[in-house]
Amino acid sequence: MSESLDALELRIAELRAQVRRAVKARDNTLARSLRGDLRRAEQAWDRAVGAGEPESPQEREAPLLPVREQVHQALALLGVPSAVRMIVAVNDAFFSGALRGPQLTSLRRDEERSFRGDPYARPYYLCAALTDRLSPARGLLADSTWEPERRVLGPLSPRVDFLVSAMRVADRLVRMTDPPQGARRLLRRMAQNIPGAVEGLAPADPETTIRAARAELEVHHAADVAQRAEVAARAGRQLSDAERLFGAVALSTLRGAS
Amino acid sequence: MNGRLDRLRGPVPSRPHDARAIAALAANPGCARRALLDAAGVDKDRTARHLGFPAPFGQSQFAITRGNSFETVVKENGCAELLRLLRELLKLPVAEVGYQDVESVGAHLRHSHTRALVDRAAREDGPAVFYDHPLLSLRIAGHVCYLEPDVVAFQVEGRFHIVEIKSFSVIDGQAEPRKVAAAARQAAVYVLALRALLADLGHAEERVSHEVVLVCPENFANQPTAALVDVRRQLAVLRRQLTRLTRVDTLLDGLPEGLTFDLAPGQDGVPTRPAGEVAEALSRVPARYAPDCLSTCDMCMFCRDEARESGATDLLGRQVRDELGGVSSVAEALGLAEGTLEPAEGQEEIARLLRLAERLREECLR
Repeated sequence: MSESLDALELRIAELRAQVRRAVKARDNTLARSLRGDLRRAEQAWDRAVGAGEPESPQEREAPLLPVREQVHQALALLGVPSAVRMIVAVNDAFFSGALRGPQLTSLRRDEERSFRGDPYARPYYLCAALTDRLSPARGLLADSTWEPERRVLGPLSPRVDFLVSAMRVADRLVRMTDPPQGARRLLRRMAQNIPGAVEGLAPADPETTIRAARAELEVHHAADVAQRAEVAARAGRQLSDAERLFGAVALSTLRGAS
Repeated sequence: MNGRLDRLRGPVPSRPHDARAIAALAANPGCARRALLDAAGVDKDRTARHLGFPAPFGQSQFAITRGNSFETVVKENGCAELLRLLRELLKLPVAEVGYQDVESVGAHLRHSHTRALVDRAAREDGPAVFYDHPLLSLRIAGHVCYLEPDVVAFQVEGRFHIVEIKSFSVIDGQAEPRKVAAAARQAAVYVLALRALLADLGHAEERVSHEVVLVCPENFANQPTAALVDVRRQLAVLRRQLTRLTRVDTLLDGLPEGLTFDLAPGQDGVPTRPAGEVAEALSRVPARYAPDCLSTCDMCMFCRDEARESGATDLLGRQVRDELGGVSSVAEALGLAEGTLEPAEGQEEIARLLRLAERLREECLR
């Protein structure tokens, strides 16, 4: 590379001399075309000098996607109702990394307003996950195109969803040839809370993580599916369209104990 | 009796207690002044300010933010971190992973929802379930106060445990004893409240374990670690102190009829009563100052000043005070040590020790 740089510098010096001679000879047409060559040579020199430096993280291209698209992207990867922190972490690890928590605070409210104003006008809405009281779960975002069972929560669901999202993050890593450092760290952070997924301080292996998560998932799966189906059926019976996506205001607690 | 307490407080609403305040009660069970002020629901912070002795503490915004962010780390993803810790610590079976966010019903129903969930858990003896953001209540001196634990109560093998998440770090297996003690006292308040709830629902209150799970960051990272802390002693102290609050009439008996700690706030809420008068009223009730008060009680600076003026041995800490039993002031102790004061009856032993100490000191200094 230094050779080509040397050659470029020689060429630039040569071109400058030619430009000077052309200007002195008042040959404007030649001077203009020589100046064009000089500019190109200088640009090539700039590029050659810059090529050796590692690209700084700030220079990652600014995302052209709006915030809700970015959130949707992260949710599609995770595949389960997720907390804002998790969505930001996934965006950071796999996508633009430009998403910030505070940008998401009013997202659900805006989506709800949009839906109530003009139902089903958008291909998808970022909606709430419903608790077993059919109220919106705090801090979780979901995708309205998911089937109702995936958007409701039973008592076991937070754990099940955590295991599923860990599996999906690991699965994504398996399919990447050169996974980014941040994505490996995210997996490591998730894997250390799954029994048998990591040993000590070693980096997490995606395949092992998937196996470990699946093993634990099998323990909870049947019960969780039944509980979720029950809540989803109840939501389907009792709630309006908007409430089914964004949750109902809780008016009563459990019956039986007062 | 309530009328009497209302008179002590003056025409302002009674101040509700939070877990910290209740825990602080247990920190110094011998202090009649604190017991009385708390029973009457006097705003101690304002009183201390008015007297010109504002308390030197209060949580900093940084500490609160740090505490909250650590709590989020522990609780995120359905308490994933907490599950790992409890599986290691209590051998929690893999199947037991339930999680209920009590706050999902909305603020106005949280207490009744907590009640309902705890009742259901106690009845069905089902799998372990974490209860996030529960709201418990406790009756203090005739008033119900609501406790909002930053903790998760959970159930394993039919026993409930209180989990207390604190952001001070455990370095190399050691944490600062004072902070652990404060956390234990605070957790004891929650244990007591949860026991009261179970008893009220007709279940055995022993089902709330006296061992609380303390979760703290480990070493210098943000990685949580957990330990079991036995709070039986704190519970006993707390119980005793709370019964004292309800039996506060014995404390009231010795006081003059017209006594009041009323600050007589004007239209704008600024106290109008002369500070000297309030101080005079407060000095009628004996305090039991100890250096520990500096971290728990709003009145600490006032009491310390008082103890200094009278040269009380309280200033030197509980241990020294107890060893100097029968000697009422620092001046008296020094007099005994230097031999300028003849020991009174019963003081011979302590006088001999003090003189011995004085001789040793002289020899060292020579």
